[in-house]
Amino acid sequence: MINWPQEAVSRTRRSPPIGHVRHLERLAGRILRAADAAATRFLGWRYNPLHQSGPVAFGLLLVLIVTGVYLLVWYRVGAPWTSVQGIVADPWLGRWIRALHRYASDAMVVAVAVHALRMFAQARSWGPRTLAWVSGVILLLFVFVSGWTGFVMVWDTFGARLAIAGARLFDALPVLSEPMRRIFAGDRPIPSAFYFINLFLHVAVPLGVAGGLWIHVSRVARPVLLPPRVLSAALFGALVALSVVAPPPLPPVANPFLAPASVPIDFYYAFWLPLTERLPEWAGWAGATATFVIAAAVPSLVRRPREGSWAPSVVDERTCTGCAQCPQDCPWDAIRMQPRSDGREALVAHVDPAQCVSCGICAGSCAPMGVGPPLRTGRDQLARLRTFLEPLQGDAPIVAIACENAAPRHLEALRRSGASVHPISCTGNLHSSVIELALRGGARGVIVFSCPPRDCRGREGPKWLEQRMYHDREAELQPRVDRRRVRLATMAAGDLAGTLATLSGFARDLDLLDRPQAGALSPIDVLCEPATVPAGGDR
Amino acid sequence: MTGTVPWRVAGTMGALAMLAVLRATAAWDIAAGDDGAALRLSWSARPERIETCRRLTDEELAQRPPHMRLRLECNGSFAHYRLTVSVDSQVISETTVRGGGLRHDRPMHLFEEFRVPAGRHRFRVALVRVDSASATREDSSTAVADTMRGSREAREIDERRRRAGEAIPARLVLDTLVVLAERRVLLVTWDGQRRTLVGLTQEPAR
Repeated sequence: MINWPQEAVSRTRRSPPIGHVRHLERLAGRILRAADAAATRFLGWRYNPLHQSGPVAFGLLLVLIVTGVYLLVWYRVGAPWTSVQGIVADPWLGRWIRALHRYASDAMVVAVAVHALRMFAQARSWGPRTLAWVSGVILLLFVFVSGWTGFVMVWDTFGARLAIAGARLFDALPVLSEPMRRIFAGDRPIPSAFYFINLFLHVAVPLGVAGGLWIHVSRVARPVLLPPRVLSAALFGALVALSVVAPPPLPPVANPFLAPASVPIDFYYAFWLPLTERLPEWAGWAGATATFVIAAAVPSLVRRPREGSWAPSVVDERTCTGCAQCPQDCPWDAIRMQPRSDGREALVAHVDPAQCVSCGICAGSCAPMGVGPPLRTGRDQLARLRTFLEPLQGDAPIVAIACENAAPRHLEALRRSGASVHPISCTGNLHSSVIELALRGGARGVIVFSCPPRDCRGREGPKWLEQRMYHDREAELQPRVDRRRVRLATMAAGDLAGTLATLSGFARDLDLLDRPQAGALSPIDVLCEPATVPAGGDR
Repeated sequence: MTGTVPWRVAGTMGALAMLAVLRATAAWDIAAGDDGAALRLSWSARPERIETCRRLTDEELAQRPPHMRLRLECNGSFAHYRLTVSVDSQVISETTVRGGGLRHDRPMHLFEEFRVPAGRHRFRVALVRVDSASATREDSSTAVADTMRGSREAREIDERRRRAGEAIPARLVLDTLVVLAERRVLLVTWDGQRRTLVGLTQEPAR
């Protein structure tokens, strides 16, 4: 598989820690595929929230900001718990808005964790993506700090326990001569400044998160920040319903002279609390530091040599016409136009290897086939297809060109169903001439199976493919190609029946096309509609 | 195939289950340790300064830069204290404590917590100065006052008196019998106004 190039990996000697991380990466990949498949079965690939964990996290951040502004209006630094009690006592707005704030913050941690797992499992955490990964780790830390200050602000038994545990850890550092825990000892009132600093941090840190997000997505040409409307509405509605029906309880006000029998802790922000309270302070710090350092070092631990399938795209200056399409299509802004060295007037594309993730989208965008990763340019694709078609001469098969990352287990099922399967690394790489060549080479029809648009590792593969096939985007499928013999479809793990049904539907239509009966064929305009939802259409 | 009725039902049930998990884990009740009580020591107090002072002559004083003309020249250190905590005559902690900061010239900040069984206990907290040498000064306050010239030297005396007054005594002992209910806390702290250790089982009246 091109995006999982074991051959490239095995060329370099791996030290034991890196080997362990690769094992972990593969394990995470298996877990993720199983979870993806389950979510697709339940919700369909269009609304699979696991495919859009990043946009879901951002959407939840917006919910937190809006609900947070409301809560801020009623919060009092001088009477923290009493003011929150007042908010909770308002059954019309306050109660569920506070609950929504809480549930959205918890759901955001889940979304961020899924997002990190996804990037790790799909080997999207190193090389040019290092900035996004490291900034994401720092953003997660910010999210936790923001959450902790939010809980402490309330000054209920949970907030106090969190504050005391944090103060205990800070007291172990040789920084402050007066133990922070003295603030909560009970011999004097907790100063208002403490609540004010908490409030300040709770407002300021999310602003830092917003700034950090800008860095996080800065390498992406067209970041997708929000989930599809239907999914957004469903998630928001579900959280609101939960907030109305079962808001989290407000624990009693903290009393320094009374240790409560039990404290309702928020697992997502205080999962570490029961453990660290039983451990010495140094162990708490060691655990936290090791976790952060290992997380930040993941790009170094999982990086591959930039060769073979991971080699960045190159430009053949002789064939580049300077049309400037590849810089427009590149999802990573890795291509710039610059003056050429051969004396011709037009500009020439130049790939910045430090920003190129080897997704190969540019190979599909270049009509004269002058750009792309080594062995994946349009010319290489044509050569591979010729080799693929040779043994099929005379069979007039249906050629299924399939993204090999989408649902690897479906490929064999497609073969068993009679299709000649031609896997490629990403359908966004697919040069339209390959489809034409397949039909000229004797294929009855060509069906292109893409991954779900929101799960594309090249970010925009299905979107650009659909534009090139049906909307005359540069490097378009030529008008002479019979569109009735071409179909685009989505192949999602967990929906094998859907994949096979799409194939059999296409085969049926081709049968009708080959043996036409009056009125049996669908109108051409319907056939020309892509089977996929346009990748940009639901954003 | 996704989208069929059984899968949609299963999806809805799955979503409801996830919401239930979110609700349960957002307020996850965990026990806060055993049902015992606690003894908490918490205070900030200035340790006593143990020093030897010598009164400078007018000639010596004149040789000093104007901003360093203190009549008394003192050398010494801040006292160490032995903190002994006993519950029902059994010593549960014995440590040496001193002022904060690298030079230990900052107030002595203390925070310690001990788990104790609930019930009636006799608590004894003793903070006793370890350094035996008392301050030796060539002068007495009176003698200095008699020979003072100008308000600067008077301020010097006042400042020394104030510092000495703020310092904790050489021996502080709290010996008290308290009935602690389950999960209650006895706080032992330094009362600067009464210049003694006090035990509190609820927040002091403001």
